[in-house]
Formats: sequence, structure tokens, C-alpha cells
Amino acid sequence: MHASSSLAVQRYPFRAMGSACEVVLVASSAQDAQRLAQSAIDEVLRIERKYSRYTADSIVAKINQKAGLNAVVCDDETWALLQYASKLHEQSNGLFDITSGVLRAAWNFKVPAIPSAEMLDELRAKVGWQKVVLKNQSIALPIAGMEIDLGGFGKEYAADRAAQVLQTQGVASGYVNLAGDMRFLGPKLTGEPWMIGIQDPRHPDQVVATLPMVQGGLATSGDYERYFELNGERYCHVLNPFTGWPVKYWRTVSVTAPAAVVAGCTSTMAMLMEQEGLSFLQATGFDFLAIDHAGNVHMRQQAA
Amino acid sequence: MCAKFLALMALLALQACSHIQPVAAWQKGTLALPEMSFDDDLLERGYKEHIYSSKEASAGGSGVGGGGCGCN
Amino acid sequence: MDRVWAEVAVAATKTPSHSTELGAALLSAAMALPCIMGAAHAESAPEKGTLSFKFLNYQERQQLGKDTAVGGAPLSGYSGASAFDERIRVKASATNIMLPLNAEWSMAGTLITDSISGASPAYHTQALSGMKDFRRAVDTSLTRYLPNGTLTVGMSHSGENDYVSRAVSVLTTQVSEDKNTTWTAGLGLNRDAIQPANFIVTHEQKKGADLLLGVTQVFSMNDIVQVNLGHYSGHGYFSDPYKIYDERPRDRQHQTFQARWNHHVAAWGGTSRLAYRYYTDTWGIRSHTLDAEWVQRLGSDWRVAPLLRLYSQNAARFYVEVDPRIAPFPPSPLPSAVHFSEDQRLSAFGAITMGLKVTRQLNVDTSVDVKVEQYGQKAVWKFTGVGSQGLAPFYARSIQVGITHAF
Repeated sequence: MHASSSLAVQRYPFRAMGSACEVVLVASSAQDAQRLAQSAIDEVLRIERKYSRYTADSIVAKINQKAGLNAVVCDDETWALLQYASKLHEQSNGLFDITSGVLRAAWNFKVPAIPSAEMLDELRAKVGWQKVVLKNQSIALPIAGMEIDLGGFGKEYAADRAAQVLQTQGVASGYVNLAGDMRFLGPKLTGEPWMIGIQDPRHPDQVVATLPMVQGGLATSGDYERYFELNGERYCHVLNPFTGWPVKYWRTVSVTAPAAVVAGCTSTMAMLMEQEGLSFLQATGFDFLAIDHAGNVHMRQQAA
Repeated sequence: MCAKFLALMALLALQACSHIQPVAAWQKGTLALPEMSFDDDLLERGYKEHIYSSKEASAGGSGVGGGGCGCN
Repeated sequence: MDRVWAEVAVAATKTPSHSTELGAALLSAAMALPCIMGAAHAESAPEKGTLSFKFLNYQERQQLGKDTAVGGAPLSGYSGASAFDERIRVKASATNIMLPLNAEWSMAGTLITDSISGASPAYHTQALSGMKDFRRAVDTSLTRYLPNGTLTVGMSHSGENDYVSRAVSVLTTQVSEDKNTTWTAGLGLNRDAIQPANFIVTHEQKKGADLLLGVTQVFSMNDIVQVNLGHYSGHGYFSDPYKIYDERPRDRQHQTFQARWNHHVAAWGGTSRLAYRYYTDTWGIRSHTLDAEWVQRLGSDWRVAPLLRLYSQNAARFYVEVDPRIAPFPPSPLPSAVHFSEDQRLSAFGAITMGLKVTRQLNVDTSVDVKVEQYGQKAVWKFTGVGSQGLAPFYARSIQVGITHAF
């Protein structure tokens, strides 16, 4: 008894947003699977081109170029994403801030060095979503050098959109995986869930837990993606917009929620909230797995 | 008397509801399997209802409509 | 070495499993983003249409010469010539098409044609007389998908040589916010015209209405339960014109209570499907039906499902039992009896069905299935008490072959 080839799981790896990505699905034929996967990949690449900081014609690059100059009119999709960023800023009492990307200039993760207080102060002056002017479906960054960066939920949004593209075409078994930010379309044809391993934050080749996933989103924030270590301390890429310093409390936070975007923002916010992150995760009602700086594991999983 | 029996059955069924664990939208995968549905294979259910109601005195249970027949 | 979620140690928090206000706020913020969560409606038309065919080959027989209710003594007049007498044979084909018209509407239609031939008893299980008939039935329905549920209207028409049935129905479903509860209400009306080939009666009719109330509840990822209450009320010609000594009331009402439970066992890849139905009517008949099925997945393409059905009913108040003193001749009903019937189907008996269904998924859109069932009906199998005496054990074998394709 072996699975017939027409019902085998098809995997389509690709690179996007600087990471290894994959579309996994079951379709009635190899051509169908190819076509469906391509439509999902196209959607991811579209979002990457449109919202990347790096591509010259992306809307984000245009908005950043006009910082301190004038407002930029946004299309519906961009406006909706900016409204979402606003709500997250409000929900997190300012911790989730898409203007905090400029702080990256102070932390060069290739060269372990603590920035000076002056450097951080100068950069912190350019951070603050509350300063941004949103009006008439346009956005204005009032200070030259201010930047917005949708990296905080861009991958998760792309995962949700790509999954939606597949869902409207009738795919009911599979998932989209963008470097660990995932959205699931339905269980395997046998009804079994996809077993997803959560990377051990201190041992990249090991898995610290395996989650059964069937639908919805799964996202992980961790201190191991970009970091440097100095004098036994780890400095990671998740920066507190008020202090300018990396967060230290959590090694990794994984969250499952109905959409990847919600899972991703929740995990990021938990990282930013540091000690308060645990009660925040509990208050959301979502399932989570979090490992703190001492290696203690905290989790909630509904009984199946 | 039978009305009381039916009311009792309904009450027992409702009491069982206290053991519900609400299932979140993103957990429903298994429930989408055809064998977990009560409505799969319409034609099989049609044959089944027709055959049994023409060989036994009982009819119905889970549907409305559909005509009768002079089955012997 | 990875450890499964449940085994990871320390500080497993136990909080209520429902979404909290904060969770809901985060979710609703995300809802503003373009199309990441699918249809806004609780239910929307299916993405694909389906076309299905199913063929049925059904053969009945009865075992003459054995009175299984009263000590096993043979009825007088038994010739011993054959162990079984053939009864009715049916060859049927059914076609169903379901078509989503857009996100909010879908339609469906079913066409069934039956070829019926063979023999049927004139009373009890005696005096088999041949018959041959052809039935065609058409069913159509239209469904509207609303924000919180569905509304379906349907019509059906069934015609055979001596019997025409027309019916209309309306069914509504309401789904709860979390989609775990569905309420169902349905109403059906039918009007049948009876014109028997033997002209025992002419231009007879039967009218009826049936009501259904139900609730379906998801209890967990692996459990779903449905409870249905039904009520039927009918008036008109209920007798069987081809049977002698058959004069039934012109009114009939029945109530049903049904509970069903589907339970998935992920570790085995199998699902149990259990159902119980209680039936009671104004003719004095009460019955219990127990259905048990186990659907076992084998690999990703196959499903094998053995099934067992147990049934038991008591006799109608006006059923006239076989009289062993004058059998095989039909007993006359009591002179004071207003209603009487010697129809086996209104006697007291139990029945057992055993079957097996095998389904093969050819690809994501297409599957084929074969189902074989063996049915037996005997007075001794009645769950409690004594069944009706003097009736030959009755058996039926049915084979169904079907194919269904999504497009």
C-alpha cells in the first residue's frame, strides 16, 4: 500500500525575501501542482517587489525617499497594511513600530560592537510611528532619514496571501512556508496534520518541539536569526524602539493563530514585551511555545 | 407519552453540550474529511432510505422532502 | 532529538481554550487586510461542482418452510421444493449533479430510474405474485448561501405505473459565530396520486407534511454529533391495493428522534460512525435502529468501511398475525376490526444488515466506490419480546457501484 503518485505531496522550494521558502501542496496532476505553486510563488514575489526596502521601485522605497519632504499617496493594499501597522502600534503601546528599522544602523550584526549613546540618541529621534502623518490615503514621514520597514509582518502577510491564492483555486491540503512563517491550507489527504519542527534557538540543527498543524498560521520570532555575541551576551536583531537596544528576555516565541500575520505580530510583540510577554501571550488565547533566556519552556496547547 | 420520551432524549443531548471544547477555525482539518460529515454520498443515502422504508415500517430521521413511492 | 509538543516539560499553562478579547482584537485588526482569511460568509457555495453516478443491484428472497417464531415447526403446505423463493429484484441508476453558480448560490439535481420486477406476497409471506414496474424520479434544489447559514428549496417528482408522488421542501441552516454549531429546520409537503393497476381503488391520494429540527455540534477536532427530531403527519390512502385484507387508517403520524456521532481516531486513521433512531407512530409501531460503521483509511487512496445495522420494530395495532391452524391460508380479520393488514412490513420483527464499502480515490477530484450489503429480517431477531409468527425469514442482497467527480 503506497500513495499513488497522483496524490503525492508536491514540494516547490524557492528563494524570496532573502530566505529559503517552500510551497507544499497536493493536486490532481503534476501540471496542476506546478501551475498552482507558481501562482502562489508569483504572489510572494509580487509582495516582495512591492514592499522590499531594497528594490528601487517599491512603494516602501518611494515613501522613505520622501521622508522630510512630502506625502506619498498609497494604493488600497498599502493603505490597509499601514492601517494594520497603526493598530499594532496601539495594541502594543508603541513597542511594535515599523519606523524602528533605522536603529539597525547602530547594530552591525557582522561586527560585534556596542553603539555609543550619542549614535543611539540620534537614531531614536527618527523613530516613532506616532510622528507619522496618515491622511487621505497618503503617508508622510516628517523627519528626513525616517524610514518605514514592513519586514515586521511582510513575510507573514505574503504567506497568508499566497495561501489565499491557493485556497481560492481549491487547494485544501498543503501549506506555504516562508522561512518559518507559515500558513496552512488543510491537513494531509489522510487527515493527519503536518508535523512542523520548531528550531532549537541554541542548536540550529535540532528541533525543540514538533507542532501538529492543520490550518491557520504559524510564526516564530527568535534571537538567533541575526545577532552577535559579546562578552557572553547575545545582541539580536529585535530592537526596542524606545531604548534602541535589542531585547533579551526570550530566545524564541512561536505562535499559532488563524492567520500568519496575526501569529507573526503576536510573536514579535511578545519578544518586544520581554518579561510581560508571557502574560500577553496568555491573554491572546492563541497557542504558543516560548523559551526564555534561561532555557525555560512556556507553552499552551489546546487539547485536541 | 412518546412526547415526553422525545423531550427527555433532547434534554440528555443538550446536557452533553457541557463537555464541548470550542474548536478554533484553524483547527478544523479532520472535520473536513468526508467520513466525518453527515452529508456525504447523497446517492447512497437516497438508496438506503428508499430500500429500508419499503421493507420496514419506519421512515425518516434526518431529512425532509423527497417524494414517496408505491414500493412493494 | 525532537520531542512532541505535549512532552515538553515545565510551566504548561492551562487557560481556557477560547479566543480572548485581546486575541479577538488582534484578529479583527488583521481582517482589514485584503483577502487573507477567505470568504466572509459562514458558509459559501462549494468551490467545485460534482457529478455522481451510482448503480444499484438489489435482490430479495424469502426462506419458505420455516416458521422461525414459533418453535421452528414447518407451516403446513410446505412442499420442500426450494429453500428460497425469489422476491423483488431492483436495478436502479442514479445521477446527481451539484453546481455552484457563484459564491452565494448553488443548484443540484438528481435523476433516479428504477427497474423493478419479481414477486411480492399477497398476504404475510404467501401467495407470491409477479409484478414489473419502472419508476423515474427527479429531484431539484436551489441553495442560497447567507452570512450565517443557508436556505434551500427543493422539488421532487416520482412516477411509476400506478403511483405519482410530488413534493416540495424548504430547509434552512443557521451556523454559530464560531462555526461549531449548526441549527437546521426543514419542512416538506407531499401529495401522492394512487391509481392501482388492479383498480381496487381509483383516483386515490395521500397528502403529508413533515417537519425536521436538528442541531449539529462540533465537540472537538475529532468529534461531531447531530441530533434530529422529526414529525410527519399524513392523510389519505395508506393501504396496499395489491394485498388482500388490507384496510389501513386514513391518517398516520410519526415522530423520530435520531442521534449520530462521528469520531475520528487519528492514531489509526479511522473513524467510527454511530447512529441511533427511535421511531413511533399512530399505528402503534415503535422501532429502534442502530447503525455502526468504521471507516478505515489505507494509505492516501483507499477507504474500507465495514458496517452493521440492527433494527427492531413491533407490529402495527391492526396487524393480523398468521394463524397456524389455517396457514398457509390467510386469516380473516375480526368482524369488529375497522382496520387490518397482513403486510409483513407491519409485523413485529428484527433485522440485521452487514456490509462493506470500499472507496478508492483515483485523484484529488475523482473517486469510485463499491458497497455490498446483506440484509436479513426475522421475527426472532426482534430486540425484546416475541416477533410475529409464521412469516418466512426475509433476505436481501444489495450491491452499489458509484463514481463521483469534482470539476
